[in-house]
Amino acid sequence: MAANKVREAKTPNNYEKFAWKWMRYSALLLIPLVWGHVILQDVVVGVHNMNLGYVAERWASLFWRGFDALLLAFAFAHGINGVRQVLNDFIHSDQGRRILFIALFIFWLAVSLIGLIALLAGVGQQFPLK
Amino acid sequence: MASLVTTLSGYLGYRGREGQWSFLLHRISGLGTGLFLTIHILDTSFVYFAPSLYMEAIKLYQSTLAGVGEVVLVFCVFYHGINGLRVAYFDLFAPKNWTIPSERKTFWWTLGLSLAMWLPAAAIMLFNLLKNNYGLFGG
Repeated sequence: MAANKVREAKTPNNYEKFAWKWMRYSALLLIPLVWGHVILQDVVVGVHNMNLGYVAERWASLFWRGFDALLLAFAFAHGINGVRQVLNDFIHSDQGRRILFIALFIFWLAVSLIGLIALLAGVGQQFPLK
Repeated sequence: MASLVTTLSGYLGYRGREGQWSFLLHRISGLGTGLFLTIHILDTSFVYFAPSLYMEAIKLYQSTLAGVGEVVLVFCVFYHGINGLRVAYFDLFAPKNWTIPSERKTFWWTLGLSLAMWLPAAAIMLFNLLKNNYGLFGG
């Protein structure tokens, strides 16, 4: 089989190009972040050992709070843009895509803010934790 | 509606073999992980907004059904990560690899690596599930 020719093409510096790059560069960062999180929480610790005290203890460390903040920022934006890419395959009109973009942006902002508030405020229970 | 039918029949009818399977698996695993991520951000935020609801959510996650879902989720995370790394590497650093033979070969490598990471993790999670929910292994 003859080898495929790879064609180089100049693309405009628009939002779509930024999103394309974002998906790939955030992926490189998400590998250690998400795999580390999943292996630690699901495999090593396990969901049967989780409670409010565990979260409070974890978030007492600035390192883990920063780790979770990075997860929230990069993983969720990566995921929402992925949903946008998938839905763009199904919605072809400019107006439909604009509505989708705005709806997903509001959804992303709302959920990210809820997560950020909880992450900054911490476990809302009186010490000592039960 | 027409675009829905066209796109779906294209997804399912196109016989692109390994390249097409890797595209579909990447989308399904990404959408599944994204759905869980959204729920997971909200349930974790309960620790501040409604601590007693957080414990209810954890109880749900400890159920057997959720435990099986967790095992599937971990496969999705590993597969999506390895395949994403493959896509990012090809796109950013080595676009000459976007050929059909290389697509076929690297799909199987991606699947094999994902399974090699997933099987031990799945075994540990199933062990914990059987131990905590069914009292096996001295639980």
